[in-house]
Amino acid sequence: MDTKQDYQDSMLDAHFATLRNELAGHDAPRCVEKELMQAFTRQFASKQPWYRRWSLPHWGAAGAFGSLAAAMLLLVLAPQRLVTVGPSMVGFDDGAAFIALDSLERIAREPDARLVEADLPQTALAPLGVPVNPQNADGTVRAEMLVAADGHPLALRLSASN
Amino acid sequence: MTTTSRPDTRYADKATQTDSDLLRQIHAGKADAFTALYRRHQAPLYRFALLRCGSSDAAADIVQEAFMGLLNGRLNYDPLRGQLQHFLFGVARNLALKLDESRRRQPSAPVAPEPHDDEAELEYAMEAACDTSGPLTRLLDNETAEEVRRALALLPPHYRDPVILYELHELSYQEIADICQVDLGTVRSRLSRGRAALAKRLHALRPAHLA
Repeated sequence: MDTKQDYQDSMLDAHFATLRNELAGHDAPRCVEKELMQAFTRQFASKQPWYRRWSLPHWGAAGAFGSLAAAMLLLVLAPQRLVTVGPSMVGFDDGAAFIALDSLERIAREPDARLVEADLPQTALAPLGVPVNPQNADGTVRAEMLVAADGHPLALRLSASN
Repeated sequence: MTTTSRPDTRYADKATQTDSDLLRQIHAGKADAFTALYRRHQAPLYRFALLRCGSSDAAADIVQEAFMGLLNGRLNYDPLRGQLQHFLFGVARNLALKLDESRRRQPSAPVAPEPHDDEAELEYAMEAACDTSGPLTRLLDNETAEEVRRALALLPPHYRDPVILYELHELSYQEIADICQVDLGTVRSRLSRGRAALAKRLHALRPAHLA
């Protein structure tokens, strides 16, 4: 610790004490702080990444626009999805596979549906997603197709024929 | 210019944070951290610049430029190399030296004395400064304080800096040596001679003042 003792002069120390007291109330003018804060705002407004500069209304508008875009995208893709969803209405009833090719409501509503029957090799069913027992792979299945009066296929029922 | 202190509860939580913490927050764009740092250091810096330059406008400019340099990263402050307050004193001193230099280039302006390390030359420099500087603008209300300020203003800058930092800001010799970029021995001798010259000047003024 440096000592002041070597240089102390009572008169000078008293003068410096008076000056210290007088200066105690002196701050930089307020305009300096104001100028600096403006500079700070200018500097960081340009430095911040775009997502930090966005205010709440900006984010609200972006969210609304994104939701709208997502809804429109779903609408555009909807018909394609219905085609892929339709054939999944598959059921198994007493060893027979029932595949609805149209909605169940439409099938129930159809007044003049007719049945067309055919025998198919079991190996032809595997590509359609129908489980095939390897032990009976060389056999045939009875295919019964429900057809509407206008010829529109409504459903398919597959059962072992032998 | 006298202004009152500005306590603000919004920055109360920042008062306990270190300068390094505040600087980190400033670089992340937090304006309240910058305000807190500025309010912590502006007053000592302004008082140093006021005594150093003898002008409230020049002192305000120096404070603003020092903080602007800190803000835009031009000053490259490294917390490992010392306290921010001392760093800012160094910056203010350099800015004041530049101001002295520009004043020296203006033929109409009072010429700041060149460095003199000899006591006799120091006294001569003070006399010369007294003759050429003319009436100084009054900055302080207290007569004695204004007298000391004027006597300080007559000291050559390289004597004035250590005297202000030691007597008014109570820094150690080592801290002054770091700020003024001189060795300890130089600080000691300049302080000793600066104080002696000041005491002589104030003593000489005293009878006239009391009369």
